Amino acid sequence: MTLKLGRHEFTDDATLMMAIVNRTPDSFYDKGATWAEDKAFDRVGRAVDEGAEIVDIGGIKAAPGEEIDAAEERRRVVGFVGRVRAAYPDLVISVDTWRSEVGRAVCAEGADVLNDAWGGADPGLVDVAAEFDAAIICTHTGGVTPRTRPFRIEYADVVGSAIADTTAYAARAVAAGVDPRGVVIDPAHDFGKNTFHSLELTRRLGEMTATGWPVLVSLSNKDFVGETLDLPVGDRLTGTLAATAVCALAGARIYRVHEVVETRQVVDMVSSIAGRRPPQRAIRGLA
Amino acid sequence: MTTDVVVLPSTLALLPEYASAADPVADLRAACDDAVLWLMDRHPDRVTVVTAEARADNVTRGVTEPAGARVGRHLLAGFGGRVEVVSGAPSSSEAGLLVVANGSAVRDAKAPGHLDERSFAFDAVIEAALRTGDAEALRGLDAELGASLWAHDVPALQALGACVRGPVDAVVTYADDPYGVQYWVARWTCEP
Repeated sequence: MTLKLGRHEFTDDATLMMAIVNRTPDSFYDKGATWAEDKAFDRVGRAVDEGAEIVDIGGIKAAPGEEIDAAEERRRVVGFVGRVRAAYPDLVISVDTWRSEVGRAVCAEGADVLNDAWGGADPGLVDVAAEFDAAIICTHTGGVTPRTRPFRIEYADVVGSAIADTTAYAARAVAAGVDPRGVVIDPAHDFGKNTFHSLELTRRLGEMTATGWPVLVSLSNKDFVGETLDLPVGDRLTGTLAATAVCALAGARIYRVHEVVETRQVVDMVSSIAGRRPPQRAIRGLA
Repeated sequence: MTTDVVVLPSTLALLPEYASAADPVADLRAACDDAVLWLMDRHPDRVTVVTAEARADNVTRGVTEPAGARVGRHLLAGFGGRVEVVSGAPSSSEAGLLVVANGSAVRDAKAPGHLDERSFAFDAVIEAALRTGDAEALRGLDAELGASLWAHDVPALQALGACVRGPVDAVVTYADDPYGVQYWVARWTCEP
């Protein structure tokens, strides 16, 4: 399906890199490296240079921790979105938030996408997306409360649950007036899931792409990679890229990543293997 | 009666099934497209594609259609007239001729067939013939030598030489060997 992310449109076969930009002092991977606004702004510039089509700006780490109220979240992200919008008019700006009041403020500053990583915890978020003609990422969390870790959560069929919940969320977004071309589903690896669930979602991702909704995957350096390979944060790139390749073969469209260059290469290579992308320049044996 | 001829190479890189995001033969393709448009414009009813036989090694792999036939058909995809493909002499003297042939593929160490110094003299004879409209020189090409220099389309050039007798108005619009393979795009207007 053609993607329309706010003011930006992408062809049916385009795959997109969404670079993670944390305006947090405590996110698991970068541990506050881009907490200072200028550092975060530099990170945006680097991601653009590396070819990212989207940046995903977040003001609250996913894991439990210090309570961040909406006022503090707005302080962290709203002005920053405006600064990025002014500097990079062609860049797709996504904001990782579950709060509609934060969504409203960032859309007013030019955000194109609301990445609802907590799966509809605030039902008003779709109305904000509709009002501002923004895209929305509909994630699956199994119904957990934002910023909680999974504890003994089980599913009769985790993929079935992910499909049912994300497509229901997508339908709710469209009913609220969001442009269907701007509705994306995300199985949300590790959110409300243990490692076995995330592995199964990866293995069966083709069932999600078969729904016809464009699929976003957020795999980068996550614990399911770490637990599978028994590796700490910082040593998970190879495992991340292996999972990325499997999702690319299944037809995922958007990749939320820390490492843009490596992921782009894997996704392009797999897309060409799958016959969805021509080689960049092939002459060997053909001259 | 006057007929018209286009000569262009049988490189597989011109085919859509081998297309890249960045066209490795963009300049060649542009020259081919221009020449074929010129030919179609002058012979809207009928064009004959003249090729060498399918290469024997490819026939053993199940590919029986000559590469030149596929390239010719592809370049003529928008043509409204009749297209005939022959390996050897064309049957009609009225059709425009699309001769699909190139020179050697051994022109440098990175060429498909590595470097063979004999390639330069061999290709120079063909290029001079294409530039001057020298049908006799094409008729006299050594197909066996050509095959040893990985120029497998020489029989198509010989067929062109055999069916053209009168004075020729010749122009070569492309001549290069970007991958160690000698390509030309040539246009002839001649007495058949």
